Amino acid sequence: MPGQTYSEEELVLLLKQQSREAFNYLYKQYGAVLFGVICKVIYDEATAEDVLQEVFVKIWTNIGQYDAKKGRIYTWMINIARNASIDKLRSKGEIMKGKIQKGEDVVSNLERGLKTEQVTDTIGLRKMVATLKPEYETIINLAYFKGYTLDEISKTLGLPLGTVKTRMRSGIQQLREVFNN
Amino acid sequence: MNPKEYIESGILEAYVLGALQSEEQREVEMQLDLYPELRSEVAGIEKAIVSYCQLYAVTPPAGVEQRIAQSLPGMRANAGNGVTETNRSIPFQPEHRKPTIAWRNAAAVAVLICSLAVNYYFWKQGDTERKIASELTQQMGRLQADQKLLADQLNDYKSSTAMMADTAIQTIVMHTVKPGHPMAATLYWSKSNGEAYVAMDALPKPPEGMQYQLWVIQNGKPVSMGVLPNNMANTPVMEKVQMQVTSGDAFAISLERVGGNPSPTEVYVLGKA
Repeated sequence: MPGQTYSEEELVLLLKQQSREAFNYLYKQYGAVLFGVICKVIYDEATAEDVLQEVFVKIWTNIGQYDAKKGRIYTWMINIARNASIDKLRSKGEIMKGKIQKGEDVVSNLERGLKTEQVTDTIGLRKMVATLKPEYETIINLAYFKGYTLDEISKTLGLPLGTVKTRMRSGIQQLREVFNN
Repeated sequence: MNPKEYIESGILEAYVLGALQSEEQREVEMQLDLYPELRSEVAGIEKAIVSYCQLYAVTPPAGVEQRIAQSLPGMRANAGNGVTETNRSIPFQPEHRKPTIAWRNAAAVAVLICSLAVNYYFWKQGDTERKIASELTQQMGRLQADQKLLADQLNDYKSSTAMMADTAIQTIVMHTVKPGHPMAATLYWSKSNGEAYVAMDALPKPPEGMQYQLWVIQNGKPVSMGVLPNNMANTPVMEKVQMQVTSGDAFAISLERVGGNPSPTEVYVLGKA
C-alpha cells in the first residue's frame, strides 16, 4: 500500500516475515539515511553501494537478534551501517583506494552530495548544526564516521583524554538542543 | 558510583559514538544494567545521533534497490498476507439408519475414519515436503550470500597483501603547532620509491584567497612539495603528492596565499618522519 507507515514494532514483525513488502518499505523509509551514513565514511561510490547491500543483508538475516529492550530499531540499523562502513574502511584495500582518489573525484562527490541529499525541511536544521563548534564536530565525526577511539582522537588532535570526552558531551548536548526544538 | 557524575563525564557519549575499547564498552554496559537513569540518557544521545544522520541522507542511485532485493536470502514473494491452508477433511454427516443394520453404520464410520486418516497422512506429508523445499531454497540463498561475502573478503585480503608486500608505507601524523588550536594531518610515505599521500583530516577550511602548502624539511630547510586543494581540508580524503620525495626529517603544512610561497609563512601542523 503506497504511503503506509508502520510503527517500529510493526516494522520488526514485518521484517521477521521476510516478505518483499517488508523490504520495499525498509528501503523506502531508511535506504537514504543508511546510504548517507555509509557515504560519510566511504568516499568511493561503488564501494559505498556494495556496503549498502551488505547492510541490508545483515538487517535481513539478523533481525532475529534485534532486542527492543536495548534500543530503537532505527539506532540498531544505523549502527549496522556505521560499523560495516568502518570495517570496510579499515580493510587495507579501501584505504589505498582512498589514497589514490584524485581531486576531481572529490569535487564530483561533493556535487553528488549536494544534488541528492535531501534538501527540503532539513535545510534549517543543517544551518543550526553548522553552528556546532568545529572542535565539537571534528571530534564527533572522527569517532562516529571514522571509527577513532577516545585514545586515538586524543593523540591525533593533541588533546588530553578528559577534554576529548567533555567536548564529545558538549557537542552532543548541542545537537540534542537543536533537534528538540 | 555517582550516576550524575558518570553522565557528566561524557563516557556515555563516547559509548554511543563507538569510541570506546571493548573493555570500557563492557564496563558501560554493566553500569547501564545497574542504573536505569543511564539507560534513558543513552536513549537521548542515540536519538540525537539518529537525527544528525538524517541530515546527511543520500538517495542511492537507481537500480541499487533492485540489486539489493535480489541479493536478499530467503525473500518470500508475499508472506505478509498469511495464506492459510484450506481444510481438506471431508465433512462427516451421518445419515439416519435403520437400527437393524447398525453394523453397517459402524463399518461406514470405520471406513470414513480410515479415509480421513489417510487423507490427513498425505496432506501432512505434502506439507512437510513443501516446508523442506522452502527451507532448502532459503538455505541456498543464504549460502550464496555467504559465498559472495567470503569471495569479497578474499579479494580484499589479496589486494591488501599485495599492497603490504609492495610498499613499506610509513604513517606520519602532523600535529598542531598552535596551542589552543587542535589541528592534525596525516602523511603516508613510502621512502623507498618516493611516493607520498596526504590527508588533511582535521585542518579547518582555509579563508578566502588562502591555500595550504605541504613542505618537507631536508637538512633543516623547508622544501615545497606543492599546494593542496582546498576541498580536501577537514575531510579524510587522501591525495597523492605530486612530487617525489626520498629523504626528509619532517613534514609540515602551512597556510599561504593561493598558489603558494617559496618559503612557509605560517606553519599549522608539523610531524617528524
